[in-house]
Amino acid sequence: MSQQHRRKHREVVVVAGVRTPMGKANGCLREFTAVDLGAMAMRELLARSPVCADDLDAVIVGNVIQPSEAANIARVVALNAGVPKRVPAHTVHRNCASGMQAVTDAAEKVAAGRAEIVVAGGIESMTHAPLLFHDDFRAALVQWNRAKSWSDRLAAAKAMLRSPWRPRMALLEGLTDPTVGLNMGQTAEVLAREFAITRREQDEFALRSHQLADQAWQQGFFEQEVMHLFPPPSFSAVHRDEGIRPAQSMEALGKLKPVFDKPLGTVTAGNSSQITDGAAMLLVTHRERAEAEGWPILGFLHDWAYAGCDPARMGLGPVFATHKVLAGRGLQLADIRFMEINEAFAAQVLACLKAMDSREFAEKHLGLSQPLGMPEMSSLNVHGGAIAMGHPVGMTGARLVLRLMRTLSEQGGGLGVATLCIGGGQGGAVLLGSEPWTS
Amino acid sequence: MDVVSLVRENERARLVFSREDKPVNVLDEICLQQLESCLDQLEADPPKVLVLESAISGCFIAGADVDAIAAIRDAAQATRLAERGQGLCRRLEALTSVSIAVVRGACMGGGLELAMACDHLLAVEDKKTSLALPEIKLGIHPGFGGCVRLPKRVGWVRAVDMILAGRSVDAKRAARIGLADLTAPPERIGDAVDWLAARGKVQRGRAGPWWLYLPFVRWWFFYEVERKATSRFQHLDLEQAYPAIPATVKLLKEIVGLSDGVAYAREAESLGRLVTTPTCKNLVRVFHLGQSLKRQDAVKRGQASADNIRNTAVFGAGVMGSGIAWVAARTTDVDLHDITPEALERGMRSLGRLARRDAKRLRRIRPALDDSNLEGADVVIEAVIEELEAKQALWKEVEAKVSKDCLLLTNTSSLSVTAMQEEARVPARMAGLHFFNPAPKMPLVEVIVGGQSSGEVVDTVAALAVAWGKYPIVVRDCPGFLVNRCLMPYMVAALRLLESGQKPEHVDGALKHYGMPMGAIELADKVGLDICHHVGVHLSEAFGERFAMPAWFGELVKAGMLGEKSGKGFYHWSGGRRGELNPELHRFLKLPEPPEGDAAAAVHEVPAMSDQEICDACLVPMLVEALQCLDEELVESAVHVDAAMIFGIGFPPFRGGLLRDFAQWDREKLVACIQRLGLEVPGNIGVLDEFV
Repeated sequence: MSQQHRRKHREVVVVAGVRTPMGKANGCLREFTAVDLGAMAMRELLARSPVCADDLDAVIVGNVIQPSEAANIARVVALNAGVPKRVPAHTVHRNCASGMQAVTDAAEKVAAGRAEIVVAGGIESMTHAPLLFHDDFRAALVQWNRAKSWSDRLAAAKAMLRSPWRPRMALLEGLTDPTVGLNMGQTAEVLAREFAITRREQDEFALRSHQLADQAWQQGFFEQEVMHLFPPPSFSAVHRDEGIRPAQSMEALGKLKPVFDKPLGTVTAGNSSQITDGAAMLLVTHRERAEAEGWPILGFLHDWAYAGCDPARMGLGPVFATHKVLAGRGLQLADIRFMEINEAFAAQVLACLKAMDSREFAEKHLGLSQPLGMPEMSSLNVHGGAIAMGHPVGMTGARLVLRLMRTLSEQGGGLGVATLCIGGGQGGAVLLGSEPWTS
Repeated sequence: MDVVSLVRENERARLVFSREDKPVNVLDEICLQQLESCLDQLEADPPKVLVLESAISGCFIAGADVDAIAAIRDAAQATRLAERGQGLCRRLEALTSVSIAVVRGACMGGGLELAMACDHLLAVEDKKTSLALPEIKLGIHPGFGGCVRLPKRVGWVRAVDMILAGRSVDAKRAARIGLADLTAPPERIGDAVDWLAARGKVQRGRAGPWWLYLPFVRWWFFYEVERKATSRFQHLDLEQAYPAIPATVKLLKEIVGLSDGVAYAREAESLGRLVTTPTCKNLVRVFHLGQSLKRQDAVKRGQASADNIRNTAVFGAGVMGSGIAWVAARTTDVDLHDITPEALERGMRSLGRLARRDAKRLRRIRPALDDSNLEGADVVIEAVIEELEAKQALWKEVEAKVSKDCLLLTNTSSLSVTAMQEEARVPARMAGLHFFNPAPKMPLVEVIVGGQSSGEVVDTVAALAVAWGKYPIVVRDCPGFLVNRCLMPYMVAALRLLESGQKPEHVDGALKHYGMPMGAIELADKVGLDICHHVGVHLSEAFGERFAMPAWFGELVKAGMLGEKSGKGFYHWSGGRRGELNPELHRFLKLPEPPEGDAAAAVHEVPAMSDQEICDACLVPMLVEALQCLDEELVESAVHVDAAMIFGIGFPPFRGGLLRDFAQWDREKLVACIQRLGLEVPGNIGVLDEFV
C-alpha cells in the first residue's frame, strides 16, 4: 500500500451487496454447506458488481459455527468464489455480530488506508451445526487407540460403554452463555420479566414482522437484494425467504407454548427469531475510489461501535451500542430516520425500546439525564426482521447493513442505525447513510 | 539410433528409454531389439539394482506400436509378437537384480506390462502420470503378460475392470489399488528408488481374491462381468462387431488358477486371433482419427489463446445450454443465463444428475437471471431458441456488454452463422460451435466458420473444444453444416421406408444391428419431431427434393406428437426410455395392421425387407450426401467425414467410418445400389479409393 493512500478519514462506502434467501434450518437450503452458501453469494456479488475480483485487497467473513472441514472459512469461500489466490482472507467471530464485525473491520481497513476494496460479509449454515461426542466418550476413544493389550482394550470398551452416548448439539451449546449459564431464550425471558413485556405485546410484534416482510416481498423490495438459489436435491428455484408466514395470526401465535421457561414464560418459537441458513456479502471501498471508477454508491458507513453489557441481559446490547455510536458523532436518536434492531426475540427488541425510553435506565446505565429516546415504530425494521425471516447468526450483521442502506436510498436518504444484540452481553451498532457525512 | 540405453553405475544399472524420431516411447521393432540385447548384457553380468526410466518428459512408454499391430495380417505373426514381448518381460522378471520401473508420464499397454514385470513400480506424482491397459479400445487385449500380472497386483476384480474398460489410473490411485508399490513426488525419486531397492526382490503369489477360485463363484463372477460388458451391444453380433470383448472375458476366465506359462500361451494365442480381425484395424483407424482431430493444425495454433479463457457465459438453460455449461465447466467458470427461474431450474436439475459423478464441477456453474458478469466473460455461447431474430437480438445485447476480445459462439444447428454476423458489430469474433445432443456425452463439435469469422477465432475455438475434451472439426458455414446434412437424407430415407410399409421397429432394429447406437426413427423421436421437420424444411429449401420431409410427418408434428419431449412420437416415451409403438401412428401413416386388428381383410402385409436392404436404403443416401459435402469442400480433409459420423452420431466405430465401410464394397455394386435408390452417382466417388 503506497504512502499516499494512508490518509486518515477516508469516507467508507458500500458499492454492492447481495444476499441469499434465508432458508429454515433443515429446510430448503439443507444441502448447502456454509462454504457453498458463502461461495455462491460471493461469486454473485463479484458478478453483479462492477468491481473486478483482481482488484480486491482482502476478504473478511463473519461466521459463528465455523465448519471443521473449512478452517478459516473466509479463505475457502474466497477461493471457491473465484477470488484470486493472492488476496488474503480471514474469518471473524463476534458471535451474533460476526457479519457486522466483518463489515466494520473492512471499513476500518479502508478508512485507515490499509486496503482499497474489501469483500465483507457473513455466512451461516445452522443446519450443519455439528453433533459432538461427550468428552468422556472422546477420552475413552483415546484410551482405545492407546490400548496395547486385551485387558487395556477391555477397559477402554467399558469406559466407552459407560460414557454418555447421546451427542451434544453444538447449536444449543453455542446459544448458551457459559458465564451465566443461560441460553439466549432465557436471557429474553429475563428482559420480559424485568421490563414487564406481556406475551400479547411480543406476539403482536412477531405478527408485525411477518406482515411487513411479506409486504416488502410483495412490493418487490427484495427482488434485487436477494439472489436466486437452486438447491439440490430438487433444484427448484428459491428466492423468497422460507420462514415468512403471510397467514400468520394472533390466534396461531397464541397457541404456541413457551420454549425456554416452561410453563410460565412468554417467549415462544413464534416470537423468537428462526434458526436459518444464509449468507450476505458486501463490497466495501472508499468514496474517492468509487467516484473515480464511476461505481454506484449504495451507502456510506459513517461510524460504528460495540459495547459490553450484562451477559444475562445481553438483549439490551443495542441500547448501549446505539448510545455509544450516536454520542461519538454528537447525534440524538431523533436524528435517525430508519433503524434496524435485530429481532433476536420480540421481548428483547421491546425491552430495548423501553430502555431507550426510560429516564431511569438512562441515568443508571448511560450516565444521561434524559432518556435516549425511542424510535418511531414506523421507522423500525420496516421490512420485517429475523422473527419472520430468520437469524443465521453469522450472517445477520451484514444483512442488516445491506437492508438499511437499501431502505434509506429507497426512502430518499437520511441517517440510519443498524444494531443487534450479541450473545455474551454485547451490542453492536453501525451508523450509516445514503449521503456523505455533513456535520 | 539408441532407443534403449544401458547405463552402469557401480552396483546399479539404468535402462533408459528415449526417442528422437517420435514424441513418445513405443515398443516397436527397433525398441524390442535393443531391449533384448540390453537384457543379454544384463543377464551376463547382473547388477544389484536395475532401474527402468524414460528420458522423455510426460511419457514412460506409450505402449506397442499401434500401426505395426494394425499392419499384421497373419495370426501366427501376431502370436509370435506377443510371445516375444512376453519373453522379454519374463527375462526381466527372472533377473537376479532388483528391478524398479520409475513411471512418470503415460504408461500404457505394453509399457505398463513391462513395468509390471519389474519387482517394484514407482509411480511419480505428476499430472501426466497415467497407467492403463487400453488395448480393448483397439479391439484387442493385453498381450505381453498383462492379463496375468495385473491381477497379481490389483486383484481380479479391479484387473478385470481395468482390462475390459481400458480405464486409466493416476499415480495416487495406482498406489491405492496396489498397481504401484510407491508414489513419490519428482524431487524424491532418488530416495524412493533407494527405499524400494532395499526391499529386495519380490515373489508375487496367486492373485486374489480367494473366492474366485471356487468354481461356481468364478462362473457367476465372469457371467456378471460379461453381462455388464456386453449390455451396451445387445443388438449387435458381438463376435463380428467387437470380438475382443467376449474373447477377453473368456481368456480371463480361463487363466484364473492356471500356471503362468500356460496362461501366457493362452494370452498370445487369443491375441493372435484378435489382431487379424477387421475390427482391430478399424478401431486403430478410429484411434488415429481422434488423434488427428485433437492434433490438427488449427488446435495447435489456437492453443495459447484458448489457455487464457477462464470465464464462459452460456445463454439458454435448455437441454443443450445446460449440457454445454457442463462441458465448459471442465476448464472454466461458467455463468448459465436464462430469463426465467423455471428455465434455470430445469437446467440445474439436469446438471444435478450429471453432478452425481462430479460434484465439484457443478460448483463452477453459476445460474444467472440478470445478464450479470458479461463484462468478465471470455467466451459467450448461445443456445437459445432457433430463430434468427431472437439470436440477433441477444447478440446485440451481449455485444454491448462484453469486452472486445470476447468470443461469440452460436450453437445453432440450422441457422447461418454468416447471416448472424451481418448484424454484429464485430463479426470477426463470431463463429459457430455446434454440439451434439447430449452435449456432455457426444465427443464431436463442429466449429462453423462464418463468412466473416477470423482465422484466429476459429483456431481458438478448436483448441478450446479440445481443452473441453471434445473432437473439433472445422466446417464451412452452410445449411445443416456437415453432420446434420448427412444425417437428414438418412432419416428421410428411413421415413420413406415406413411409407412403403416397413415397421418402425424393424427399420430401427436393422440399423441397430448394423451398429448404429439407435435407430433412425428412435433418433427422430429423441431429437424431437418438430426440430427434425424444421431442419428438413430448411435443408430442402437450400438443397432441394432429397431433403423433403413426407407430408404426413408435418401432420404428426401439428398433432403435437413431438417425440420424447411430448411423451409420444413414433414411440411412447417415459423417463427417457422408449416404450411401445404409438398406436395413433395409424392415423398418419398406413402401417401394416396388427394381426388381431378387426380389419383383418384389409391387411396387405408388405414383405419385410432384409436388414441389409434397410441399411443400404438408409445409409447410401447418407454416403452420397457425404461425398457431395466433400465435393463442396465443406471440411478440410475427407477423413474428417468419417470422424464426424463416428464421434457425432455414433456411427459404429468397429466399421471404421462411413466412407471406409462403403469403400470396401465392390464399386460397381455400389453404383448400382445408388442408382437403384434413385440417387445421382456422385462424380467424386473415386475418393473412396483412399479409404480401402
